[in-house]
Amino acid sequence: MNKSSLQAVRAAAAYQSTVLENGLTVRVHTMPGFTGVHAVYGTRFGSIDRELIRDGVRMKLPAGVAHFLEHKMFESEKGDAFSLFAKTGAVANAYTSFDKTCYIFTSSGNAAENLDILLDFVSHPYFTEQTIAKEQGIIGQEIKQYDDSPDWRLVFGLYRCLYQRHPIRDDIAGTVESIAEITPEMLYTCADAFYRPQNMILAVAGNVTMEQVLDACKRAQIPQKEGLIERVPVEEPQELAQTYDEISMAVSKPLFGIAFKETPPKGDALKTEIICDILTELICGSMTPLYRRLYDEGLVSPGFSGELLSLPGVLSILFGGEASDPQQVRRLLLEEIARQKSEGVDEELFILCKNQLYGELVQELENVEDVASALASSFFRGHSPADEIETLAALTIEDVNEALRTMLCEERSATLLIRPIEQP
Amino acid sequence: MKRITLAPGAHVTVLPAEKFNRCRISIHFIWRASRKRATAEAVLPMVLERGYADCPDMTELSKRLARLYGAALSVDQTMSGQNRILTVCVSGIQDRFALEQEELSREYADIAFGTAFRPYVVNGMLDDEAVQIEKEQLRELLAGEKNEKRSYCIRQARRKLYAESPAGVERNGYIEELDALTAADVTAAYEHMLRHAQIEVYVLGAQENAVRSSLCAALEKIDRIPDEPVQESVFPKETPEYYQEPMATVQGKLCMMFTPKESFPAQDLSALRVAVAIFGGLPTSRLFQNVREKQSLCYYCAASFTSLTNVLCVDSGIEHGSAQKTQQAILHELAELSEKPVSQQELQEAKLALCNQLAAVGDTLRGLESWYFSERMRGGEKTPQQVAGEVEAVTAQDVQRILSRFSLAVAYTLTKEEQADE
Repeated sequence: MNKSSLQAVRAAAAYQSTVLENGLTVRVHTMPGFTGVHAVYGTRFGSIDRELIRDGVRMKLPAGVAHFLEHKMFESEKGDAFSLFAKTGAVANAYTSFDKTCYIFTSSGNAAENLDILLDFVSHPYFTEQTIAKEQGIIGQEIKQYDDSPDWRLVFGLYRCLYQRHPIRDDIAGTVESIAEITPEMLYTCADAFYRPQNMILAVAGNVTMEQVLDACKRAQIPQKEGLIERVPVEEPQELAQTYDEISMAVSKPLFGIAFKETPPKGDALKTEIICDILTELICGSMTPLYRRLYDEGLVSPGFSGELLSLPGVLSILFGGEASDPQQVRRLLLEEIARQKSEGVDEELFILCKNQLYGELVQELENVEDVASALASSFFRGHSPADEIETLAALTIEDVNEALRTMLCEERSATLLIRPIEQP
Repeated sequence: MKRITLAPGAHVTVLPAEKFNRCRISIHFIWRASRKRATAEAVLPMVLERGYADCPDMTELSKRLARLYGAALSVDQTMSGQNRILTVCVSGIQDRFALEQEELSREYADIAFGTAFRPYVVNGMLDDEAVQIEKEQLRELLAGEKNEKRSYCIRQARRKLYAESPAGVERNGYIEELDALTAADVTAAYEHMLRHAQIEVYVLGAQENAVRSSLCAALEKIDRIPDEPVQESVFPKETPEYYQEPMATVQGKLCMMFTPKESFPAQDLSALRVAVAIFGGLPTSRLFQNVREKQSLCYYCAASFTSLTNVLCVDSGIEHGSAQKTQQAILHELAELSEKPVSQQELQEAKLALCNQLAAVGDTLRGLESWYFSERMRGGEKTPQQVAGEVEAVTAQDVQRILSRFSLAVAYTLTKEEQADE
């Protein structure tokens, strides 16, 4: 990396960070020239957190509880947060993933007022039997919407094949039955356990300063919570739950996926994640001969690609999409993996993949939403956006070949097929 | 913003973008949609995206883009009212991030103009092999349109509304015409586009001079008679039309399209923005608060307005058994807003949200370009700040007046056959 590009990347990735007395991590990236402000207030509590020990007492949680809590945290006795954000013109939202829940707003101006609303609502849970009953109906509809998404069904079907016990098997929103078990007490317990500043980040980017954000934190007076909370790690066996499954859905063309259960790295996962990301590109990315063959012969649709999932206790690589002849696509993929295992990965493609990934990382530091999101997600992974660029720069082809020797093994793979059903 | 006319129907718009990490060059071709050429025009962008004269191989082109740090090339097409638009866009990181001090933006311009104006031809025609491959990809795309239920429902409602109008020409063409489609047809469609399209080039953060000279060089070789794009149109129905399509889904879908009897004048556009936001464009809207939150009738229920066809669209994900109830609830909300002026608080909140959105237009490359291109398509050149001023001036009576002009034209439901409405 030459001096001027290094300076440009450092400037793009620069942010201020501090940890408050109550344990809350605050990251701020002031972006001159931008009008908007994007804030992410997130907690390390996602759909895979299904068992905890609170002051020595073990507690199990039904599938979908983190997501359910997310739906309810923007409510209080006085009304909902959306109506307060509406008075400032900000757009607010929230989302839950496997390992985190985040509350966000985007505004142009009024940063202080919007931060006050965000911090206040997420710090003061309020649930009643009535508000929970109403939400069960709305989330039930959300679950049904995802049930009609073939891509979603493909991914979760594969996780159910790969994992025997890990909660990644369950949909982030849970099921209509599992969310029926949720009570106000359970939500209060989860809020107390996981919505504690030590477990959270406030990441803000755009037309805002660290001083403004710290002032908002002072006004919010979020106390450090007492008591000991432990997450219960899942003991996932090496073996797969099953190696093949089929689903029938209202789709016009079959969907096919193959997923590999890998050994999660010990310690910092960043290097392994970058290697896996590059491997998906090296095997069937748009620059590869395999993709070209699959595409030109009409065996797959353009969206066919690989992706990686890395979480505590989980590392998997998945290839999938629409495929007219799933068996043949599976065979060709496995043959290509075997070839690269034996011959090593292509050096030219490896360099191009690194180049491409560098461009993507620079791109992620461009607008206020992406920057705040990158600050928050890198916190949950225990690093910074700049660490990703440095780890990528240091990566060698030997690192990738070495990893490939033990990864992407057919005997640790599962296949899922979605067949079209006859339309009425 | 700077707009330069290089030739009749060929313009370059330069938008300041120094604060971004990426730059972007887009070449838009805009011409009148035709039912006859629709399928050839649908295959055309897919063929162009595979490669061009200097880099005809699709895989080599992917490698060239990766070498430029993952630059992105897309060739997309869309329908905009009665016009078809083909857009070649290249975006990538700015020169200052190049690891070897390469002149990246000059290369982006080369790829964008190569793709748009120097396609790979064999014996005077677009490559037949590429056309045959992309025909099959398009066939799969057309056959798979039911996979995404939400967009499929909207598309079906649109088909019923636009019927035989040029606005109803299928963006992705017609599956039954694919077998007979030849490379000569696609070449003819390409030549028609070059000759008749308005060309709007947008440059954000890239080298303006390289773009200007590339466009001038390209135009020199074409005998052009550019058409004027068709402005807005309306599709009123005497009585509402209701359609139900059975489909094996877990969740039902409902799409309702409302139309006025006559087009809205340009000066009503800001009032339309506010009215649609209050009706169903925001989390505080009537549809979200009353139909979703209070009545729990759906998971989503949102309204949007398309200015070139004057269509107000509401789409919703529903329980199969409550389609009728949801329809009535949506109609009730529209009737309420048409009969009574909204409160000052509701009005003010909608204006604030819109002004926030308008202020943020300049915070993304895509937002900036899309704003000025949409303005151009409507024949305007207003800045987001000017429109924010107009939004501030909208009154509760304007909202009532605007919404009272809409009537239900088409309601399309995806439902389970065995589950009749309550």
